[in-house]
Order: sequence, then C-alpha cells, then structure tokens
Amino acid sequence: MARILVIEDNAVNLALVDYLLHHAGHQVVSAATGEAGLALALADPPALVLCDLQLPGLDGYGVLAALRAAAITACVPVVALTAFSMSDDRERVRTAGFDGYLTKPIEPEGFIGQVAVFLQQAPRGH
Amino acid sequence: MTEAVQPSERETASLQAHFGELLESMPDGIVMVNAEGRIVVANSQAERLFGYGIDGLRGLAVDHLLPARYRDAHQGHRARYGQQPRKRAMGSGLDLWGLRRDGSEFPIEISLSPLRTAEGAFVLSAIRDVSERKRIEQALQEKNAELARANEAKDRFLASMSHELRTPLNAIIGFTGTLLMQLPGPLNEEQTRQLRMVQQGGRHLLALINDLLDVARIAAGKTEVQLSRVGLRTVVEDVAQTLHPQAQSRGLQLAVELPDGPAEAVTDRRLLSQILLNLVGNALKFTEVGGVRIVVHREPGGCEAAGSPWMLRVIDTGPGIDEADQARLFAPFSRAQTAAARQQEGSGLGLHLSRQLAELLGGSLRLNSTVGVGSTFELCLPATGG
Repeated sequence: MARILVIEDNAVNLALVDYLLHHAGHQVVSAATGEAGLALALADPPALVLCDLQLPGLDGYGVLAALRAAAITACVPVVALTAFSMSDDRERVRTAGFDGYLTKPIEPEGFIGQVAVFLQQAPRGH
Repeated sequence: MTEAVQPSERETASLQAHFGELLESMPDGIVMVNAEGRIVVANSQAERLFGYGIDGLRGLAVDHLLPARYRDAHQGHRARYGQQPRKRAMGSGLDLWGLRRDGSEFPIEISLSPLRTAEGAFVLSAIRDVSERKRIEQALQEKNAELARANEAKDRFLASMSHELRTPLNAIIGFTGTLLMQLPGPLNEEQTRQLRMVQQGGRHLLALINDLLDVARIAAGKTEVQLSRVGLRTVVEDVAQTLHPQAQSRGLQLAVELPDGPAEAVTDRRLLSQILLNLVGNALKFTEVGGVRIVVHREPGGCEAAGSPWMLRVIDTGPGIDEADQARLFAPFSRAQTAAARQQEGSGLGLHLSRQLAELLGGSLRLNSTVGVGSTFELCLPATGG
C-alpha cells in the first residue's frame, strides 16, 4: 500500500503503530531519533511521516522544518503523533505547519482510517 | 557663572523667623535654596536625613546633597527651574539619590515649590528618604518573580505530567484495542469480556487525566477564555451530532430546540462545547428510557448574569437525582450514589469542571431534578461575554 516513516522514541508506542500499519498492509520504516528519521526520509522519501514531537536531540518541530527545507521531502505530508494534547500544544502544532495531529493514546479502531485520510491528501500542494 | 554667595545673616534670620516653625512641623526634610543654589534654611529633619548637625546645612551649596555624578546635570536643571519655577514632584518613577555627609547614598523623592518673599526668590525642596519603600518594593519584586517562576514550574509540571501519564496509556488502550479487533487472532467470549474491562479501565483513566488537568489549569488560572461571537445553533447542533451515535446505541432520542432567528452570544466556543458535551453525555449515560433535549432560549433575569442571558437546558428523562445527592453533585468525585450511577464510567469530575467553566464564562450551572421524572441542567450564559 504505502511506505510510511514512523519517528518515535518509545519502543512500545512504535510497536503499536508499526503493528497497526503493517496490519493495514503498509510498509513501515522507523527511527527512534529525529536525526535518524530525517536521514531515512532524505534517502528515500516516504508517502507519509508520522512523527513524535518530543524526541531526544532533534525534536518533531526540527524534523518538520528540515523535511520542508529539503526539495526532495518538501511535499511529503508530516503528521504529529504526540501525547501533548493540551490546547496550546494543538495550536503550536498547527502553526508549525504539520499536516495533521494525532494524539496518544491512539484509538486503534480509528487509527488506520485517519492514516488513510492523510495518505489521500498526499502529496502536499505547494 | 555666578559666584557663589553666602546667604546673608539678615536673609537667613528673616526666613527662619517666617518659616522655621512651619518647616519643623513637616515630616519631610525641607531645605530652602536661594537663587545662587545655597541652602538658606533647613529643618532638622533634613539635617538628620543628610547627617549634618544643627545648622550644618545652612550656607551649603545644595549640590553637595547630591552624589557627584549628578551635580553637572543638576546645575542645568536648577538654572532651567529658576527660569520657569512651578510646583512639581520629582522622584516617582525617577531614580534619585541623596548624598549624606559621610559619603553614603540613599534613594529619595523630592518635590519642589517656588517661593517668592521680600528677600527674593527661593526654591523650597521637600526631601523624603524612600529607602524603606525601595526595600519593600525590591522585596515585592523578588517575591513576584519567585511566584512567577513557581507558576511556570507548575505549568511545566502539568504539561509533562499529562504527557507522561498518557504515554503508557497508549500501550494499554492501544494493544487492548488490537486484541479486541482480533487482529492477532480470534478471542473467546471470556477473553473479550475481560479485555473490554481493561479497555474501559484505560479509557476511564484517560478521562480522569484529561479532566484533572483541566481542573488544575482552572485552579492555576491557566484556562484561556477566548471570547468571540458564537452562534449557539452551530455549537448545540455540533454537540448533538457528536453524541448522536451514543444516543442511538442506547435507543434514546436526542433533540435540539432552538429559537427562530439568530442565537448569538459573546463567549468561548470551545469551553461552551466542553460544558455541553459533558452535560449531554452525562444525561445520555444515565437515561434508560426516553431521551434528552437541549433547549435554548433567552431568559431575562434567568440568572445572576446581567442583561438578557441565554438559558441552555439539558433535559433528560432519566432516574432523577434526590435532594441529598443534588447538594453534593458538583463537588469533585461525588457521583450520585445510586447503583445505576456507580456502574457508569466517568471521571467524577465532569460536573465540577462544567460548573467551573460556566463561571469562567460569567454564567452559572444549576440543577433541577425530580426522582422518577428526570433532571434538567440549566446553563445560564451571558449574551455579551462574562
């Protein structure tokens, strides 16, 4: 189906997202740091990036900025996947320019449908 | 430049006779300065203030009461004041310093008044030592900075607590969900039943975390109220639409009654939605037969809110709440003690939170209920902002 990059430093959360995406037939590549995720994305741009916000080193906002700055990944949709769910977090994510916002805990029943919506929107228009 | 002239004995004696007693009666240090910038009369408060003995100030150039770094500027100020004398206060907002005889400095406030006598033109300066006030101001400032830091720390703590508590719940709710979706393989009936309980527990915990954070934010005054012109029809219909599946799954009616024409209030859309979602969600949870109506209309004198507030009523045909329970319903963690209520999931903070939010919006939240008939929650909302 689609090749999706998941950047997430929590092993259990990654396992859950990975499991659900695999089950829906997607190909998952993953990284536990922003830098590693960025390297993967630049080497072979995925159809969608799901990115945690709080990461060691380069955080989700940094990853987003770097992806937007590189021509090869500028149009890849990037969705924030985060346990920061207070209203000001939501606002910050929106103004940063993420294409979407998924909060943890994710609801597995709806997750694949949400991912499908983000994939349909791809590629980003500029 | 005028050569400094010592005030004459005659000048001094006459002024002293005129003003001496009056100046002594004043709480501030007072010096009278002649056109040449010499002190001709000073009260003992001024002499104490600057550390001069009896008659120590008389004849002194007034510049000597200023730290050296201000003297040049002061001569200019004095010359200009001489040309255009008027009464004025100096010092509030200015950083002025006095110089004691021993060389130490202290913060002062000064007010100046021109004085014209038979002996000529003088300037009367009232000088106040504001060390103590500065010290208190400084202490207050430090205290405020400390409080602000503590508040920020609390904010950061709340944000990280939310993040940290939600992260493990992701594993619990997530993998319970995959199991119940039977993605890894089929489940038997008992496994499904037990996993549903884990799932409910997880969701309950999530509701608790969210509501607790909201309560903490309100308590910390961190809930932002963003007022705008809000169409009540949209808000109420959105809420009804969101909760429609819940009503349907329980076989209940969910009806909305709005007035004809525009229904607008200056309020916070998000907070209003949060209150209504909570009230209607509750009503649906506790109602077995019949349904829930959301009735909106204007009600002058409907509550304490000024003007002609909106009354939003959430009316259910549930079991009703007896008077004893009504009294404590809005306190945290005090669900009605009926067996039916105990079975319901929920944080136990919803009504407490809703009432606090209603008050943040300048309104109120009340309950009318009759056991066996149903309950009506009345949200009174000012039409023009809180």
